[in-house]
Amino acid sequence: MSHSTVPRGTTEAQTSPQDDGGTTGTTKGPAPSGKGGRGPRAKKAGRLAFRIRWRRDRALILMTVPALLLVLVFNYVPILGNVVAFQDYDPYLSENGFVAIFESPWTGFEQFERIFADSAFWHAVRNTFVLFLLQLVLYFPVPILLALLINSVVRPRVRAVAQAVMYLPHFFSWVLVVTVFMQIFGGAGIIAQTLRRHGYEGFDLMTNPEIFKYLVTAETVWKDAGWGIIVFLAALSSVSNDLYEAAAMDGAGRWRRMWHVTLPALRPVVALLLVLRVGDALTVGFEQLLLQRQAVGVDASEVLDTYVWWNGIRNQDFSYAAAAGLVKGVVGLGLVLTANKVAHLMGEQGVYKK
Amino acid sequence: MTPNAASSSGPSRRGFLTSTAAATAAVAVGSPLLAACGGGGQEGRKEGTTSGKEAAKILPAFVASSVVTPDIPAKNGSAVGFTRAIPTAELKTSVPKTPGSGGKLKIMSPFWGTPPKGDNPYYTAMNKAVGVDVTWQNQDGVTYDQKLGAVLASSEIPDVVVVPGWNLMGRIPSAINAKFADLGPYLSGDKVKDYPNLAAVPTEAWQRGIFGGRLRGIPMPAPYVTDIAPLYRKDLFAKKGYTVPGSPDEFLAWAKEATDAKSKLWACDDMKWTAFNVFGVLSGGDKALWWNLEGDKLVNRVETEQYLEALEWTRKLYAAGVVHPDAVQGKAGGDAGNRFTAGEVLVYNQNVSDWWGKTAEQRTQNADFEMEAFDYFGPDGGDPTLWAVQPANIFTFVSNKASEQQVKDFLALCNFCAAPYGTKEFMLTAYGVEGTDYTVEKGLPVKTQQGVNEVNGAYDYTGNPAPYIAYPDLPEITKGMVEWQQRMGAFTKKSSFFGLTVTEPARWSNLADDFEQLEDDVVRGRKKISDVQQAVSDWRSRGGDGLRDWYRKLLDDNGSAD
Repeated sequence: MSHSTVPRGTTEAQTSPQDDGGTTGTTKGPAPSGKGGRGPRAKKAGRLAFRIRWRRDRALILMTVPALLLVLVFNYVPILGNVVAFQDYDPYLSENGFVAIFESPWTGFEQFERIFADSAFWHAVRNTFVLFLLQLVLYFPVPILLALLINSVVRPRVRAVAQAVMYLPHFFSWVLVVTVFMQIFGGAGIIAQTLRRHGYEGFDLMTNPEIFKYLVTAETVWKDAGWGIIVFLAALSSVSNDLYEAAAMDGAGRWRRMWHVTLPALRPVVALLLVLRVGDALTVGFEQLLLQRQAVGVDASEVLDTYVWWNGIRNQDFSYAAAAGLVKGVVGLGLVLTANKVAHLMGEQGVYKK
Repeated sequence: MTPNAASSSGPSRRGFLTSTAAATAAVAVGSPLLAACGGGGQEGRKEGTTSGKEAAKILPAFVASSVVTPDIPAKNGSAVGFTRAIPTAELKTSVPKTPGSGGKLKIMSPFWGTPPKGDNPYYTAMNKAVGVDVTWQNQDGVTYDQKLGAVLASSEIPDVVVVPGWNLMGRIPSAINAKFADLGPYLSGDKVKDYPNLAAVPTEAWQRGIFGGRLRGIPMPAPYVTDIAPLYRKDLFAKKGYTVPGSPDEFLAWAKEATDAKSKLWACDDMKWTAFNVFGVLSGGDKALWWNLEGDKLVNRVETEQYLEALEWTRKLYAAGVVHPDAVQGKAGGDAGNRFTAGEVLVYNQNVSDWWGKTAEQRTQNADFEMEAFDYFGPDGGDPTLWAVQPANIFTFVSNKASEQQVKDFLALCNFCAAPYGTKEFMLTAYGVEGTDYTVEKGLPVKTQQGVNEVNGAYDYTGNPAPYIAYPDLPEITKGMVEWQQRMGAFTKKSSFFGLTVTEPARWSNLADDFEQLEDDVVRGRKKISDVQQAVSDWRSRGGDGLRDWYRKLLDDNGSAD
């Protein structure tokens, strides 16, 4: 104990001048390699000389062009297709589905009125939010915990094996995941059959609408939690070992080090992912839910995405589905803006800054 | 209707700006714009049906063909049965010379299973024999409806498209009327005699090929006896000493006794389809068959007592725990047929062709395997009331962009594939190349593994003779299937729109889409019978009654098919 007090003093003495140097160096210290002096003028020059910047960054910009084109063609151009939400769109009216847009009659907000009057839509919205909140509470923290766990494993081989085992389910298709769950927890699954053989009543977790939301969350955790740890592991690896050593020198135990070093280091990443997740709140899984639609019925399994699919692709009510998709998009945008604002208020960067 | 709304239909709609203006104006005055655009006057979107005199003008003439006398003749709407193999030397020729022009055809077709490679010996031999270079675009049959909608909306429609009747949902019928060619100029009346095998296709099947007032589809003729059969494990029944139940109550009692979940054995799979037949519910396949004139009123199947009774009985089966747990899961639970062959369920229902399919499949794997279809019983154990299904329910169309030569090649292909049992053309179409796809053992043609993989799925829908069942290697099964159809055919009645292809108005075409999901919820105990009654009254007010009047008018104007 007495031993540790001495180093604490010394580390403080050693680190604080360094910290000062780091923050104040640019303002009053001598500019290292002329960088500081260039600051204000470079900004002005950059604004003026587009040509110079172009010449400097040409190669980089050209390299992004293909990707930009793809984004434009596959992400932005299709947005225009949303106009069918304001029509009574019939893709078979003319030569092809695209030309048919120009020939379909306009109906203004009629599709939206239909949607808001449809109890099935509101039901899907409710299911979507329930699933989102549940996944936020039960799924979102899991990768963080797993990352911390893996990070605490020292032996590289154990670590690699653990990581591989956790990543693996991510590469399974949903059909496979659902089947695996069915074989274990289904009415004729391993557990139910074993129980029956020993004289107990069997059970069936796969077809119970009440617990369906937990089942879906469990499937998601098993499939994707391992994959989700990658980001957090990357964030953890960027935490300087000096900080841990310093904390250890100061006498911080495992828990204190996690609380004061690891978690604060993860905070920006967690905030960022949280904002992104909230923006994606209305997307809670499609294939997974569609696959299990019959098993638990529409009441338990219908979410916005499956609702849009069912009406648009299955029933070919394209305008209606487009309108529902548009509503989803607008609500999603609102959510991500709100979450970002909250992140700013909490002093985090969020997704973007003004 | 206001002048504004009227101006938004018709050619002026082409102009983007004018139509926006018209729409804005129409919305402003709150006029029913949808109604204004329904009529449209576009020939391609014709609603309704064609029958009687109008149909007679375009239907092909019928010229019977008898190459081989069937061992079991058709009766009560059954197929004909062939139980004897015809030696190669005695095979007749129905298409004397290569009929095609050597042109190319792209055919999109549903395929259940794994499609073979495109250049296999069977396809090559078919192409050579028909004289048409066919490229197959085989798509997964289970999700075919999703693909079909997108393909029809694109400008790249394959030359030939196969459409199963159960995929005619939503706007697909109007798409068919707009995108596919009228075959009348090639087939109507005596013109069909250029294609003798097609001339032998029954008229009631051709009647189904009339879409939007034109003969557009080459039909796949089918028996009108219900295609769904309750199938049971005869071997396991005999082992346990069970007799086949003779009434719904007996079935339930037997099922409770037979279920032994501890040893992974359940009495049955999902029996909803069987229940519909047992309780005499109007046919659920084709939308037009949902309606029947009872007294002076058109009644829809979902409005009937029988519908509710059938659901209630199926619900009892689920509630009693006699249905395999995987079946409770529906599609995600896997294939019912596999549970049946694995001996986990004793009874399931499926297309009667599974009787042959599963028997043939199990022959090499389980020597004791034996199955059979049992006869439907009525709600009280007496005779059932069965409703006829459509006499053709899979169609093949040719794009209206195809050249005249392509249409002729297509018809040549259909004529080739429609060759009856006992011809060389039939053997090639159904069995493939001798020596490669099948071998003749003890006088019986037996498919090789290559034949099983390749001679399967393609060329099944591009032309077919009158309904037949021909499995000379399993004559007992052939006999059993035809006789089951004949016995059930005796109880089969035809509803008001039997045999007609009806294009419903687009605004009502999605009205009944969600009943199937509701049925599945009710039988599994997640929803109540009262929910069905509520859904029916919603259905009535959302357009069901309007649809009733529409169908009534159709019946009054056209009469039924007979």
